[in-house]
Formats: sequence, C-alpha cells, structure tokens
Amino acid sequence: MITKNAKEAIKHLEKLCELVAKRPSPFKGMTKDEVIEKLRETREKLWEKKLGIRN
Amino acid sequence: MVFVIDANIYVFAFGIAKEENCKTFLKIISGHPLINSIRICRTIVEEVSSNLTQQEFREFIGFINAITIVDEDFLVPFESGSKYEWKGLKPADALIAAYCEWTGADILVTENRHFLSRQSDLPFKVLPAEKCLKFIIRSS
Repeated sequence: MITKNAKEAIKHLEKLCELVAKRPSPFKGMTKDEVIEKLRETREKLWEKKLGIRN
Repeated sequence: MVFVIDANIYVFAFGIAKEENCKTFLKIISGHPLINSIRICRTIVEEVSSNLTQQEFREFIGFINAITIVDEDFLVPFESGSKYEWKGLKPADALIAAYCEWTGADILVTENRHFLSRQSDLPFKVLPAEKCLKFIIRSS
C-alpha cells in the first residue's frame, strides 16, 4: 500500500532528480570511490566546523 | 525495520553522481514508510545539502519531511561517538555509527567502504544499496 506521505516523498524525489539532471555534476569524471572520498572529506569538514562552533 | 541511509546514497540516488541502484533503493524504501522506518541526523542532511542548489534543497527537505523527521546530532551520546573513534573510525563517521546505535537501527545503508569493511565491529548491519534491496526483498 502506498500512503499519502509515500506519494509525496516520491513526488519530491522525482522532482529533485529532474532538477539535478539539468545541471553539470560536480563529480563529473570521478569514479565511484573518488566521489565517496570527496563526500567523506565534506563530512569531516562539516564536523570540524561544528566542533569549532561548540568549542 | 529501521534504516539509517548515509549521505552518499542520497547523492547517488538524486543523480548528482550516477548509481542507479541507489535511486531504486530510495524509491522502494520511501514508498513503504509504514513498513520501513528511515532515520536521518542533521549531519547527513547538511552533507547532502552541501551538494544541492537552493531549489533542490527545498525538494530534499520536502522528501525528508514526507518520510521522517531530522534528529539533531547533539542527541547522540558523546561517549558512544568516542567509542567508535577509538575503534578507528574518523570522527564524523564515528558520529554516524553512534547515531545508528542510538536509533537502534538495523541497517546502515552506505557505499562507504570504510564502513563496509567494519561489519564485525558494529552492532548493526552495514549494506550497500544493492545488497540492502536484495535483503529487503528476501525478508518481505
């Protein structure tokens, strides 16, 4: 059974994919592992920033 | 079943970097929110958002609000994060592991091989999108 929220979620997901498809990817030319490493770097930076704010 | 979906799955699913399995997985799991409970913390939301434009961000928040609520990072016990750092995870990865433990997640869905290689150290399953899809199909 697909609930109202699920329909809403899928609608947003499809729209989001549509929007993303219209622009160039920041990860163009990168392998899957390279993308994951890049995302891990972002995560670490965000975390360091948060710790900086807390301290 | 409780799932924590890592930022890389969202990024791949939205097509920012292509990985069709991730999109299929996200569509299936968000299509059945009564059966599957998805949890997300602020760090994952921020990480995904840093790769989105403003308009895309609005759709992402709409998507998240339709399937779950965002948990703040400060709710996760600090000691739990330290425990995973001590086990060798990077601080931010340690937070995600601690978050999974705190939520009582059954599965962390990620393509991050640093997590995938640590299966035996963790109190929850770690599966990439494709294997998680197979797991869901098998157990339903």
